[in-house]
Amino acid sequence: MTAPLRVVAVVGSVRSPSKTTSLVELMLQTLASHTEIDSQLIELHALGPGFTDAAERDDIGGDVEKALRAVEEADLVIAATPVFRGSYTGLFKHFFDLVDQYALAAKPVMLAATGGSDRHALVIEHAMRPLFGFLQAWTAPAGVYLSSGDFDGTTILNPEVYERVEMAVADVVPVARALTTLRGASVG
Amino acid sequence: MAFELGIYHFGELTPNPTTQQPPTPGVRLRELVEQARAADEAGLDVFAVGEHHRTDFAVSSPAVVLAAMAEHTSTIRLSSAVTVLSSDDPVRVFQQFATLDLLSGGRAEIIAGRGSYVESFPLFGYDLNDYAHLFAEKLDLLLRLREENPITWQGSLRSSLTQGDITPRPERELPVWVAVGGTPASVVRAGRLGLPLSLAIIGGSYRQFAPFVELYRATAAEAGHDPAKLKVSINSPGFVAPTHREAIEVSHPYFQAGWMANHHQRGQGVPMPKMAYEAQSTPAGAFFLGSPQEIIDKIMAQYELFQHDRMMIQLGFGDVPQKEMMQAIELLGSEVAPVVRREIAALKSTRSLAPAVEVTR
Repeated sequence: MTAPLRVVAVVGSVRSPSKTTSLVELMLQTLASHTEIDSQLIELHALGPGFTDAAERDDIGGDVEKALRAVEEADLVIAATPVFRGSYTGLFKHFFDLVDQYALAAKPVMLAATGGSDRHALVIEHAMRPLFGFLQAWTAPAGVYLSSGDFDGTTILNPEVYERVEMAVADVVPVARALTTLRGASVG
Repeated sequence: MAFELGIYHFGELTPNPTTQQPPTPGVRLRELVEQARAADEAGLDVFAVGEHHRTDFAVSSPAVVLAAMAEHTSTIRLSSAVTVLSSDDPVRVFQQFATLDLLSGGRAEIIAGRGSYVESFPLFGYDLNDYAHLFAEKLDLLLRLREENPITWQGSLRSSLTQGDITPRPERELPVWVAVGGTPASVVRAGRLGLPLSLAIIGGSYRQFAPFVELYRATAAEAGHDPAKLKVSINSPGFVAPTHREAIEVSHPYFQAGWMANHHQRGQGVPMPKMAYEAQSTPAGAFFLGSPQEIIDKIMAQYELFQHDRMMIQLGFGDVPQKEMMQAIELLGSEVAPVVRREIAALKSTRSLAPAVEVTR
């Protein structure tokens, strides 16, 4: 009997409802259909001034500290952001600036983004992957990018998205399971 | 012309998700004939069958299947969906559909396409490198065959015809639609030729296809074609049941099995999870999936956008049991078709002062 995989999703949207959150919910549902998970979804804009006012980790307290810890202790992280001015949002970068520099090392991370058009599709490769490369995270090979045409409001219409998510999840679950087991063994 | 509602089926031999057994081709073909009979009785306008050349589909010769249907039906139009014209001989296609037209009392139609499955190309000795050229040339010949007999014709991919006598002759102009998936060039071709456009929308947001229909009408108008001939058909998968829930629950396992069998990535079938299927059934999604009222609502919403002339539903993709298929056909004929015909006729009459085809330049 294995423990549920602790999955923490971080959404860099600046408001709700959000297409990015909707995508992340689909990813969590799909993960849950593959393996038992214990999931947490963090919408960064909801963390409020305690988060946005903090310049350094020492300035952080309460719920924001809990959110950072959750990511640091997760077995699998979903990092998702809308494209703002050609890249991830400021909120998104600010959050990962505050996460402990080595907490994501060798931790599986799934990258996801939404944008106004297909022209931003490479945001995952050109902006997000380098950030998580710096953090030495184990980024999943298949990123998931959606443009507004894939949605009606926040409902995901494009069937290819579901396939892409299914594939990305199928790739990452065995890795997350194996790494979690290894980590547990070395600690225990 | 009243708004038309039809059904199409590819005769797929999808393994049943419970038993893992596919229907035999004989069973599938007889089911199709029975469905056409039911659609005719229910008052639907068109029944169309696709053409594939591989063991997981039962229909490789639509005209033969449609001829069997002709004997069991009286008013419904019988069409291919599509005739893979690129890898067939237009003379033979014309002869077969002319024969069907005569046998059925003027009910045959051809929807011609380039083919999205390519098995037929090597089978009949065609080179896939000629994909685009084959279709252009064969469509040209097919259209010429409608107009003149005997015919003298020359192309580069088929032997020439010198005073070729192509018989039998149909008693009217055989309708030829051009099937388009998502390629603007194909839309432009149909528009330039002034042929009716059969547009497949098999997923996603149907609104994204509005520019295709606009492009078609604009191209046709520029080429000087009669707007009355510029019909548009929208074709999408779907299923109908008395309630939304039933429509999803009944059809999803079969649809998913069919999707897995026909949709591959990294050498494996890709599932269509139920939540993805549900998303397609929402008002903005492409599938005609739900209760009769939901189907009516979506057709009306699409009509606002496309001002189309015909809606074709790929009903019960996969191996939905015949009993449920018959119920769906009955619902489409008795509950959906009369309402959309009436509503669209009313819309057309209130808009009679405005041009029927608006061209945005």
